Amino acid sequence: MKPFHLILLVLAGIGIATVISMYGNTTQYVAFPDAQRIAQENPGKTVHVVCKLNKAKPIVYDAQTNANRLEFYGFDSLNNESKVVFTKPKPAQFEHLEKMVLIGTYDKDHFLATEILSKCPSKYEDAPGATTASK
Amino acid sequence: MNQTPAPIVFNGEWLWLGNLGHVFVILSFVASLLSAIFYFQHEQNKLGNSLIWGKRFFQIHAAAIVAVFVVLFSIIFYHRYEFHYAWRHSSNSLPVYYMISCFWEGQEGSFLLWLFWNALIGLVLQRTAKDWESPVMVVVAFAQIALGSMLLGFHWGELKIGSSPFDLLREQRPDFLNIPILGQLGVGNYLQVFKDGNGLNALLQNYWMVIHPPTLFLGFATAIVPFAYSIAALWRNNDRGWIAHALIWGLICVGILGLGIIMGGFWAYEALSFGGYWAWDPVENASLMPWLIMASAAHMLIITKATGRHLFTSHLLTQLAFWLVLYATFLTRSGILGEASVHSFTDLGLSGQLLLFLLAFLALGLVVVLQGTQRRIALISIAAVLFVPMILAYSIKSPEAVETFYQWLKGLGTVLFLGWLVYYVYALYQRTKIEMDDEKLHSREFWMFLGSMFLILSLVQVFAATSIPVFNKLFGYKTAVPSAADYNRVQLWLAMPIMLLMSLGYWFKFRGTEWSNIKKPLTQIGIGVIIITALLMFGFDIKEFKFVLFLLLSVALILANTVYGYQKKKWEWLRWGGNIAHVGFGVLLMGVLVSSVNKNILSASKEGIDLAPEVDQKGNQDVKGIKFNRENQLLYKGKPQPLQQYTALYIDERKGVGADSIDKFFKVAFIKKDDQGKTVDSFILEPKTQNNPKMGLLAEPSTRHFLHKDVFTHVNYESSMDRKEPFSNFRVDTVGFFRPFITQTGKVVMTIDSINRSKDSNGLRIQLAIKAKRLGDSVWLRPEFLINEQTGSFDMQPAESNRFGIMAAILNLQIIDPNPATQNIRFVIQTGEKTPVWDYIVIQVIEFPWINLVWAGTIIMVIGFVLAVLNRIKKQQQLTS
Repeated sequence: MKPFHLILLVLAGIGIATVISMYGNTTQYVAFPDAQRIAQENPGKTVHVVCKLNKAKPIVYDAQTNANRLEFYGFDSLNNESKVVFTKPKPAQFEHLEKMVLIGTYDKDHFLATEILSKCPSKYEDAPGATTASK
Repeated sequence: MNQTPAPIVFNGEWLWLGNLGHVFVILSFVASLLSAIFYFQHEQNKLGNSLIWGKRFFQIHAAAIVAVFVVLFSIIFYHRYEFHYAWRHSSNSLPVYYMISCFWEGQEGSFLLWLFWNALIGLVLQRTAKDWESPVMVVVAFAQIALGSMLLGFHWGELKIGSSPFDLLREQRPDFLNIPILGQLGVGNYLQVFKDGNGLNALLQNYWMVIHPPTLFLGFATAIVPFAYSIAALWRNNDRGWIAHALIWGLICVGILGLGIIMGGFWAYEALSFGGYWAWDPVENASLMPWLIMASAAHMLIITKATGRHLFTSHLLTQLAFWLVLYATFLTRSGILGEASVHSFTDLGLSGQLLLFLLAFLALGLVVVLQGTQRRIALISIAAVLFVPMILAYSIKSPEAVETFYQWLKGLGTVLFLGWLVYYVYALYQRTKIEMDDEKLHSREFWMFLGSMFLILSLVQVFAATSIPVFNKLFGYKTAVPSAADYNRVQLWLAMPIMLLMSLGYWFKFRGTEWSNIKKPLTQIGIGVIIITALLMFGFDIKEFKFVLFLLLSVALILANTVYGYQKKKWEWLRWGGNIAHVGFGVLLMGVLVSSVNKNILSASKEGIDLAPEVDQKGNQDVKGIKFNRENQLLYKGKPQPLQQYTALYIDERKGVGADSIDKFFKVAFIKKDDQGKTVDSFILEPKTQNNPKMGLLAEPSTRHFLHKDVFTHVNYESSMDRKEPFSNFRVDTVGFFRPFITQTGKVVMTIDSINRSKDSNGLRIQLAIKAKRLGDSVWLRPEFLINEQTGSFDMQPAESNRFGIMAAILNLQIIDPNPATQNIRFVIQTGEKTPVWDYIVIQVIEFPWINLVWAGTIIMVIGFVLAVLNRIKKQQQLTS
């Protein structure tokens, strides 16, 4: 074997190791009960939960008490409900969000989200009649 | 009897304009097709005038593309909302200079822009490619056919070929014709209702968004040229003359693409509120991937040009670079990224066509690589038979009954595609492999090769991570997209060997170097690097080992290339290109390191302050060791708040210019004092919010730039977003000037101080200045009363103060003496009360040290690329003359 091929082999090895370690570190989209289990087995590991806001329950954000705490209730994709605490200010038009991805970990009785990914309800395509009616 | 309804006549539509545009689309498509055929005839069969015809048709094609551009712009400019594109992406209030941005908000416009750049590049190639013109232009024209088909907008039942930018609103959105108001007006008059468009995404209304997308697209477009030369060379029986051309265009591509990417980062930093310039968002990665591989390919081309080695790798990487551009297009335009990206792109249902596009270019490569007509025909036809049903499976929504069959088809298609790709690489290797001795360890080509391979490793990680949504879709996984930290952890280590090789590479000569010749300068540089790094470590305050190592390597990169340039090239600036580009890259990476490692969130809460319920005894960490993003501070209006070494004061807010502006600017002062209490630094920032009816609160940051740092701030929440408590304790008083009156509870005392009359088209406007006092504090209220003199009707505009929790409205006027000079008027004033609230904002303030290095590095790098390209062109001209 030529030394050149050895170098190529080493490079390929680094490449494969990089990719494997990265996939090993990725998290899965999980449901709330799984998040709870993972938090017990593996404290500190963050997970992703696809969540739907429960619009029937209160959304609590009082900036003057704590500007970095938002509380609400949400359903995961299997319709399990959980209390969620988010450690940032309330995102704009939060009440209208259809779907969001929570990133964080489970803490006792609530999911502690450090990040919420959401598509802003951009671009409502309303006919002019409809928009004027809502004003 | 069954009566067919009379066809509806639609009034006021400029259908001719759309038809004209569509004619140009078809003309450009046909012209590119003919151009490709004639160029092909010339290359393959040297048929009479075919070269001239190929040239002419491509010029016609380019002219038609410009015409399509003009027509689409006119539709937007004249607000012709009968066309879906104009309605969807523009509005009446859109300034002319942002109208151009409408082109890249929609997919059709983006494809048009790409076509435009390719056409321009084609015209340049007609002048510069010389004897390579015909095979190269076949490939460019082929790309134009593929891109042009994306705009055709032909429909056969479920199957859709392209999406026309000239589609009509009423055809795209037939539901709009059913809105109730049209019942009275008549459906034919729908344009009287659709007088305004849906508008351009507010985030795109930024001057950086006028310049960043076209630059990026130009970078993407130039990637086709090295690819075309590679294909042309294989076509011409493995001719070696392609390398010099491909290298020039490869360098142009890396330079422009790099500039475009950083421009995007600058836009994100200046206009978006995620607090940074790079977030490893899939859309950002999609533009980074072609850059990484093209940078790698350009270096391989340099090696092949100088030594004749690695011809296969040069071919492979130049071709992969173009495929990655296509893959990036597929990722961002097919809607597959879904929730993985904050960039929202709609799916036009063209996934199948985009895949076909990818496959067509792979087929093109295969045709030129394989030898022997029969083998070519056999392989291509087998592939076609297998792939057509699979492309259809991607294009047509599956009927439910055969859902699994469709899934199965798609899966098979993916496996076949990968198999085909592997076979292609193998065939390419067989065609272009070169038997040569190994390069020497002390040769430049060896180190350059190694560096290029590390760039590819970096690419592999980005590719694997960015493609996760694709794998999820293909194999039904549920893997979440990696976070920025996942990328940083890997890329930090991969960047280091690249930096080391970039510093050393130039010192080695091609084919071999005497160790003794470079021992001395490299030792001297090494000592210099250690001293400078030690100084910078303290200057930048970098302590962690891996970051110090990164810093050291960036210093080495800058120093080694500067010294080399000076020693070997003296003042021949044109030859400095490569070194300057390397130095720029070093400066950029140094800036990235310092600005992110020592990023300081000024608004982060410290231990002991503002203890939140879920914080444990240790302070900012919860029991599981996750650091909280406790990064926002509440500022009450008029109340100073310490933010580390600064004191922030929310002074006031103002509305944007224009009566119906939805912009709000918050004036926040930052003051820094030294130990003696003397002000050493003070400045005012005005972060903006836009209460966008379509998108909610959009925050635009405001940044104070210093040479050595930036202070960046944006508003995340403000008191007017709270639910309003209604007023109560109403009370009505009839009072004159200077006569004190009180609110219901007596807490606030008011006096009317002055009156202001003005006349406009709405009638007479009376504004009172009322001074409200409470416990030694006072505030001005300015309620208004409007009298329409023609109709005699009146209207009122109450005024309120949240801080005092009061409101005042003028209900009526009682004029005792008609002569206003005597000021003998009584006003009927209604007052109301509620719990006083102080206005506040919740802001995030971040200090980015030395972020200017990132921008400076980019500029230096671009200068380096310009010099390198000029130098290569000069060499090429000397060679041919």
